[in-house]
Amino acid sequence: MAQYIADRRDVDFVLHEQIQVEDLSKTELFADFNKKTVDMIVKEARNLAIKEILPTRELGDQEGCQFDNGKVTVPESFHKAFELLKDGEWVAMTEDPEWGGQGMPTTVALAASDYLVGANYAFMMYAGLTHGAGKLIESFGTQQQKRLFLNKMYSGEWTGTMLLTEPEAGSDVGALTTLAVKNDDGTYSITGNKIFISGGEHDLSENILHPVLARIEGAPEGSKGISLFLVPKIWVDDDGSLGEFNDVVCTGIEEKMGIHGNSTCSLMLGGKGKCRGMLLGEENKGMRAMFLMMNEARLLVGLQGLACASSAYMYAVDYARQRIQGKNLLQMMDKNASSVPIIQHPDVRRQLMMMKVYVEGIRSLLYYVGMCEDQVKICEDAEEKLTYQGIIDVLIPIAKGYVTDRAFEVCSHGVQVYGGYGYIKDYPMEQLLRDCRITMIYEGTNGIQAMDLLGRKLGLNKGKPVMDLLGEIQKSIAMAKDVQGLEDLAAKLEEIVDKLGKVALHMGMTAMSPNVMNAFAFAHPFMEVCGDVVMAWMLLWRAAIASKKLEEGAKKKDAAFYQGQIKSAEFFIYSIIPITVGKIKAILTTNGAAVDIDEKSFGG
Amino acid sequence: MEIVVLLKQVPATESLIEIADDGVSIKSDDIKWVINPYDEFAVEEALRIKEAHEGSVSILSVGSEKTVEAIRTALAMGADKGILVNVPDGDVYDGLTTARILSAVLKETPFDMIIAGQRAVDDDNFQVGPATAEFLNIPHISMVIKQEIANGKIKCHRTVEGGTAILETPLPVLFTTQRGINEPRYASLPGIMKAKKKPIDMKTITDIGLDPATVGKPLTKIVSLKTPPERKGGIMIEGDSAQAKAVKIVKILHEEAKVL
Repeated sequence: MAQYIADRRDVDFVLHEQIQVEDLSKTELFADFNKKTVDMIVKEARNLAIKEILPTRELGDQEGCQFDNGKVTVPESFHKAFELLKDGEWVAMTEDPEWGGQGMPTTVALAASDYLVGANYAFMMYAGLTHGAGKLIESFGTQQQKRLFLNKMYSGEWTGTMLLTEPEAGSDVGALTTLAVKNDDGTYSITGNKIFISGGEHDLSENILHPVLARIEGAPEGSKGISLFLVPKIWVDDDGSLGEFNDVVCTGIEEKMGIHGNSTCSLMLGGKGKCRGMLLGEENKGMRAMFLMMNEARLLVGLQGLACASSAYMYAVDYARQRIQGKNLLQMMDKNASSVPIIQHPDVRRQLMMMKVYVEGIRSLLYYVGMCEDQVKICEDAEEKLTYQGIIDVLIPIAKGYVTDRAFEVCSHGVQVYGGYGYIKDYPMEQLLRDCRITMIYEGTNGIQAMDLLGRKLGLNKGKPVMDLLGEIQKSIAMAKDVQGLEDLAAKLEEIVDKLGKVALHMGMTAMSPNVMNAFAFAHPFMEVCGDVVMAWMLLWRAAIASKKLEEGAKKKDAAFYQGQIKSAEFFIYSIIPITVGKIKAILTTNGAAVDIDEKSFGG
Repeated sequence: MEIVVLLKQVPATESLIEIADDGVSIKSDDIKWVINPYDEFAVEEALRIKEAHEGSVSILSVGSEKTVEAIRTALAMGADKGILVNVPDGDVYDGLTTARILSAVLKETPFDMIIAGQRAVDDDNFQVGPATAEFLNIPHISMVIKQEIANGKIKCHRTVEGGTAILETPLPVLFTTQRGINEPRYASLPGIMKAKKKPIDMKTITDIGLDPATVGKPLTKIVSLKTPPERKGGIMIEGDSAQAKAVKIVKILHEEAKVL
């Protein structure tokens, strides 16, 4: 096996040659993160991931979580790995050092997480959700709440979750019925049932902090009447000591298709009338708080998709080099020709290329969004800050929706490269495929991501963020046009960007016309087109850098990597972009068949 | 307790090792370098002794500038400072030469204890630790899997074939670590951030009072390097019955393998 989880050269390339993360160290906020430190962080994350977390991936899948009378136990191997994660203080990489975080740039944290999450994302969800819940407290909590909870959470001593979904309130969060009634002491009595709660109950920490969306008695219906509460599993007294059990009862865990190592819990709050919560932020502003956290959560789900896809690609390349099967096509008629590694077969190479281009394009996209997040933090110019925020807002549905759709396809190609062995449990492929599938559903289904892109992001600030993004793409096209050998690729990208501009205008107009339903029936294809263009952009950008490096004279191993970058751009722009052109044609017809068809005509 | 750990940077065991064109060295272009795994045990043991008895842990290495990376990793694990005797990349020293360089530094460095890996996984020659102790004229105990320190003495459990020997000696001492002594910690994120600010003292051969013209000439010479022969496929003994197959095996053992 050459490399596990992620290609080290590729991670380094995106960090240092494409995104140029070292530039961040010129700012006061990130002055500590020079190239050497960044390299050491990524190296140590990789070390921990491969030696300690990766071995828990298969074990966690086989053993799963166990539920017994309200208690949930996680796979045995998770305990040591979680201790090491805590010891290394990897739980709160980007958080404020004042509260126990590490103050790391998001871009660097993404690279470290590429390995940590890639090693076993079902395991890393316990830490990821803790970081997210902590971030809610850091953003909306009172000083006292921060003092009581943050250090314990950022160190991983206590873990966190997020309680949104209810049996009748999934994608439509506004329909939730969990009730909060104010008590004389300022706390709230909470009653309700929540389902699909990742890490809702487990034995990795002595206390679990649940941010809960609930409706205060008498509040308006729908999402306008929702508030955010902090509900500890065990009440925490004002002096920080643990009080009594807070009536948060786990009533069961789900048997799932994948991510078996992560407990997915049903929680009953206040079944005995003894569950208390404290308001986090302002009354009826719970959804606003959620939205602020959403970009980061969705980016993390995109990373989970990449984690599965990248692992699948590493395994598939290795397998295709080792697996001897069939003669080389050019020697088919030669009786004496020996069998060759399957990487020599054109159709296997096609599949490996499909995997390669998406893994690379996705990695660049996610790190790029991370870099925009960092720019928002360090920008002094208010307008520039808004520009970066706008680009993030437009890219997030793509970084979640498009990315996880493609990631699942990449895993499926991985299964295919393994042939029959890809379908059996002796090899890692089938688990990666199963684990990957949920990323298309949770944190807003990919259908919702597409609607978000069309309904909210396209017209955001009168379309300025979309125009800003297209401007950034144009910069890469201009750069590539000057590179010998890339002129035609750059011209092709320019053509498709032009077409994207037109189809975006068409979709925007249609969404505001009586044909609005047709427009939304094409929201997902529209997201695909946007995603394809973003992939082509990232790959051409990579190829332009690689070509320059080759011209300057690269070392032997680097040369192979750089040549591979040019081939990726070539493959994507010549083999996939023509399909995008076809998708655009389909969108421009905005045919109403899916909307007009009578429900009865679906049959069944 | 002042502890010095002797540390060597070696090719990662996962690296693909290829012999260079000169036939006496390996190609180093694509190699990833790591702390010698036995030296990681030494760093961990030093940190545990420091945590129990206070004091400081210094990392001492001979190598080119890229060795700084390995020293920094040990500093990120929790060591306090580093000393690198900086020699040109590509210079190869035998164990005795390395020990001579290390002991020259150690003669000027206060220590109560020196810990080293029992051997380096690249050349596997086991000599640097014991030879350094000899040059310093202090006792040494090798292959240690457990140690206890009390009243200025150290008691070490040393692996011997089929069992364990227990040895005791007054400090200062040099001991070498064997697998099983501990489980090395991982560098923590705060450790990585702090490591950057910890001092690494860079010295040249001249700085430590040796003559670069003579020290670079090892007493041993590598004549050639060879990779192990590739394994050949097995032979299937065909035959109609077990007896027929047995006859064939005996014949092969007798006539081809010549062991009967």
